[in-house]
Amino acid sequence: MSRQSRNMIKYIVKRILLMFPILIAVLIFTWILSNMMELNPALNKIPGNIIDRARYEAELRRSGYYDPWYVKLGIYLGRFFRGDWGESFVIAEGTKVIKFIAEIFPKTIELMIFSIIVVPIIAIKFGVTSASHKDKPRDTLIRGVAILGAGFPIFYIATLLQLFIGLTIRDFTHAQLFIEVIYPNNPSLATPIPIGGVGTGFRLIDSFLYNSQIYLWDTITHLILPVICMIFVSLSGITRQTRSSMLSVLDQDYIRTARAKGVEETDVIGKHALRNAILPTSHLVIGGTAGALLGSLFVEVTFNYTGFGYNMYMAIILGDYLVINGLLVFSTIVIISGTLIADVAYTIIDPRIIY
Amino acid sequence: MEQPYLEETERNQYQAVNKKGFFRYLKFYLIPGWREPEFSVMEYEIGRIKSKRRLFRRLLKPLTIAGMVMILFIAVLGVYSPWLTVFTIENLTPPDFLFDTPYLTPSPEHPLGTTKYGFDILGRLIWGSRTALTAAALPVIIGTLGGLAVGTISAYFGGRVDALIMRFCDFWFAFPSLILVIIIAPLIGNSLYNILILFGLFGIPGSTRWVRALVLQVKQNVYVRAAITSGAEKFKVMFKHVLPNAISPIIIGFFGAMGGAVLGFVGIAFLGLGDEAFADWGTDIQYGRGEWGAYYAVWWPGLFIAITAIGFMLIGDGLRDALDPRLHL
Repeated sequence: MSRQSRNMIKYIVKRILLMFPILIAVLIFTWILSNMMELNPALNKIPGNIIDRARYEAELRRSGYYDPWYVKLGIYLGRFFRGDWGESFVIAEGTKVIKFIAEIFPKTIELMIFSIIVVPIIAIKFGVTSASHKDKPRDTLIRGVAILGAGFPIFYIATLLQLFIGLTIRDFTHAQLFIEVIYPNNPSLATPIPIGGVGTGFRLIDSFLYNSQIYLWDTITHLILPVICMIFVSLSGITRQTRSSMLSVLDQDYIRTARAKGVEETDVIGKHALRNAILPTSHLVIGGTAGALLGSLFVEVTFNYTGFGYNMYMAIILGDYLVINGLLVFSTIVIISGTLIADVAYTIIDPRIIY
Repeated sequence: MEQPYLEETERNQYQAVNKKGFFRYLKFYLIPGWREPEFSVMEYEIGRIKSKRRLFRRLLKPLTIAGMVMILFIAVLGVYSPWLTVFTIENLTPPDFLFDTPYLTPSPEHPLGTTKYGFDILGRLIWGSRTALTAAALPVIIGTLGGLAVGTISAYFGGRVDALIMRFCDFWFAFPSLILVIIIAPLIGNSLYNILILFGLFGIPGSTRWVRALVLQVKQNVYVRAAITSGAEKFKVMFKHVLPNAISPIIIGFFGAMGGAVLGFVGIAFLGLGDEAFADWGTDIQYGRGEWGAYYAVWWPGLFIAITAIGFMLIGDGLRDALDPRLHL
């Protein structure tokens, strides 16, 4: 046992060390990308015609536009490992990128946390029900809902929800599409944090810490529709996966043996079958979580929810390349650590896997 | 006692064939579970066992037929689009903006209304089916063929080549590929084919991993080792013995991936990064969502996207059930 756990620790350390070469490769790749974009940050920052030529030149020189490529790359890599990821030029002018990420990422987590925690539980339950009642009305219903969730694009569902519910129950989508604002979804206009106070970045936690009910309800009404979209979409994938792996396991000989021995049906499904069928699903859940944190892009763009995906999109459109680099590198770090956690979790779920 | 019974049934069957001829077979193939009412119980049993062995019959489940009908519908729209609508593709794409007719409600001239820039929604739906079918086919063909080549080489040669390819795949999986497409697509010009080829190239690492796992499984079989022992060349073993036996899961995955490819391209188009020279359903949703009450401008394009994507997924599921029931994608 101790030897096994020692191997495990050795494996984790090896994987963490392996993360660094991948990280450097990712950094160089993103740097090449941002240079390929040939964006001119000054052009977007100074809108309209460039009248003040000197200011334009000064802006270019300040952002390091005229440096040779090796200087740029060297400065970029050196700064990255010192924790200085540069400043945003366009989106949030003058904000440090790390600070900017710390500001926007909690919002995405708030959006995703419900679908990350609740959805796997519901979806696995659905999948198991669907597999154990194969070709019954219940199965047909669950499969139908799942294939609708997989087939309709997420932004279509989001837009329809926005149009139909936003038209009838107007409290849901204020700050949207010319509907009058009750509580503006704008941190600079309405924030419960006093000057000099410390905020966590999570709007829900902040509103509890500083006892601001208006802020809480504002946050919740802005969250409901995006969260419904995220749930609907992530539900379908996990349900389909659970159903198909449960069906293959229920076909096996040891299930028949268990039934022949007289094990109760709930135990056959919950213990014998589910323990063996859960591995592909857990791959989808744990590995998909990291992807889901970034995959909320369409929902955020549709609802103008200023989280990770929305800012990524705006940075690409407006050409804020340091923000793009920062967000891309951050998202790769999230994905790499997500796969590491998934690989470690496999050994807990399935003790036969040994590294 | 049994012998005359069988003869009798055979005679019955023969007469039935002669009586109805071709149309009897048509009914037999197209309507699942359809039987000649005169057949005896014995014959019913024989027919059931026989038909179970036929791939064609196993494919014809109701859901798979529904998927085929969906894709056929979209394909008919795509092939006959010039005859189905009075608008040409030039009338429906951005160089001629028709600002005088934004968000018209359905009328005889515009059966489904118009979008933000005054384009007819029905016309764009019909022309968009061509784009959608291209978007389904091209990335998946590139991704699957590339994955087949690289994955087979990686699995078969092993050693240093394998390690190199797998490290590259690891590196590639660290990226969010959708965001990469959004970043790179404007760089190489927002041409439709550029975006689709990009999607295909980004799909190669995923299919490489999958093909590699399949080939490694097949390589364990005795006949592969026998071929190697009897001195066959490496490439001959690879393409004649290994690949044909790993091909059926790949065909199934092909159809499943086509649904995903449609959704992926539509997502790019929704963000406003698609090709404006082609009518596209994702762009339609983007055009349509800016106005309260104009839900008819959003409803139809999304429905057509869903028909295409669900159609491909249903065909994929049906193929999986028919070819390889134990496989799980």
